Amino acid sequence: MLLEIDHHSGVPIYRQVMRQIRQQIMTDGLRCGDQVEPVRELAARLRVNPMTISKAYGFLEAEGLLERRRGVGLFVADVEGGKQEEIRTELLAQAMDRAAVTAVQLGLSEEEAVEFLRKHYSEYSLKGARQR
Amino acid sequence: MRQENVIVEIRGLSKRFGRTAALDRVDLTIGRGSIIGLLGANGAGKSTLLRHIIGLYLADSGTCTTFGVDAGKLGPAELGRIGYVHQEGELLDWMTVEQLIRYVAAYYDNWNGDLEARYVEDFAIERKKRVGTLSPGQRQKVAILLAIGFEPELLILDEPASALDPIARARFLDLLLQFIQDERRTIIISSHILGDVEKVIDHAIIMRDGRIACDSGFDALRERFARVTLTSLNGPMPQELGIEGVIACQRDDTRAVLTVRDCTREALAARAKALHCDIEIKALSLEEIYAAIAG
Repeated sequence: MLLEIDHHSGVPIYRQVMRQIRQQIMTDGLRCGDQVEPVRELAARLRVNPMTISKAYGFLEAEGLLERRRGVGLFVADVEGGKQEEIRTELLAQAMDRAAVTAVQLGLSEEEAVEFLRKHYSEYSLKGARQR
Repeated sequence: MRQENVIVEIRGLSKRFGRTAALDRVDLTIGRGSIIGLLGANGAGKSTLLRHIIGLYLADSGTCTTFGVDAGKLGPAELGRIGYVHQEGELLDWMTVEQLIRYVAAYYDNWNGDLEARYVEDFAIERKKRVGTLSPGQRQKVAILLAIGFEPELLILDEPASALDPIARARFLDLLLQFIQDERRTIIISSHILGDVEKVIDHAIIMRDGRIACDSGFDALRERFARVTLTSLNGPMPQELGIEGVIACQRDDTRAVLTVRDCTREALAARAKALHCDIEIKALSLEEIYAAIAG
């Protein structure tokens, strides 16, 4: 699992871990049935307190993104459609909020902002299509 | 907390030195598997509290139980599970470093020679030097080695890194994180250098005037406080922002920087939308949180 911890961002580390795992699950970086790295292993590798990792895993388990198989470990759960949609909306809303605020601050009209987004979207979706 | 996970239990502990109340009715429970930061100004009672835990001081009133035993009656079986680095760093000055290590190691059946060798290498400890000739930083390194060499279950560090240079401090923090990977272990660390401590602790205890001013999970503590920057998206902001829990505020017509406590991100974000503002929420550093609680 490739996670990156920023000790200076001010965002609690357990939230950074949660966000990145959530993102990886949504973007298929982690798939249903994949085992996640054990708490102590991940903590040692990231050089963080193991409590931090078990807290992040605990919340993700409560959210239904991870499931515990007794005596084996934690696995990526089969996330049902409604929940997936909810997380997707949340991730998108965060990113779109930032973009919208900047557009308003710079005095763009709604049409200009949408046009801008369309332009950027097409750049990335083309790249994505080529990879797949 | 389940009883078998309670390492230290303190109830109504008071201690006076002459007319000074060093500890004033302290209640505290310390659980297994945490790195606990014990924070507070000089004279707040940190060292006094730590010394009660290992039975170096006896309470005037109240109780302190460590590993289930009255701390005043701890025997070799319990003391052999506790590593302690104290502020003064008193060591046997006339020995060489090597002699001192062998002398201390001889007390413990479970002294870890591999750990010792790795530590001596990592921290560039000179075994042949006489202890009395070491610099304060080198003394601290030796004191830390002597406290961890037998892999204690409870490691008590009283200002352990104050004399270390920045690189040694970073190594030292790494060492603590490695140490705690074994879930049976617990570390209590008192320190002034908050910027260091906040990288490793999961629990914070803040003392003021011999009392516990705050006893909280560190993430929960961090999330109670925030620095909020509001930037108006059109026109001046109203005089009354309608945000609760503001402890500091700087503002002009279109921008406000607030320090808030006990506000959820969601509530702040909703308020910002209502005010038609951009909002940026940042966590406070431990130093700033400390100032808000203990200052």
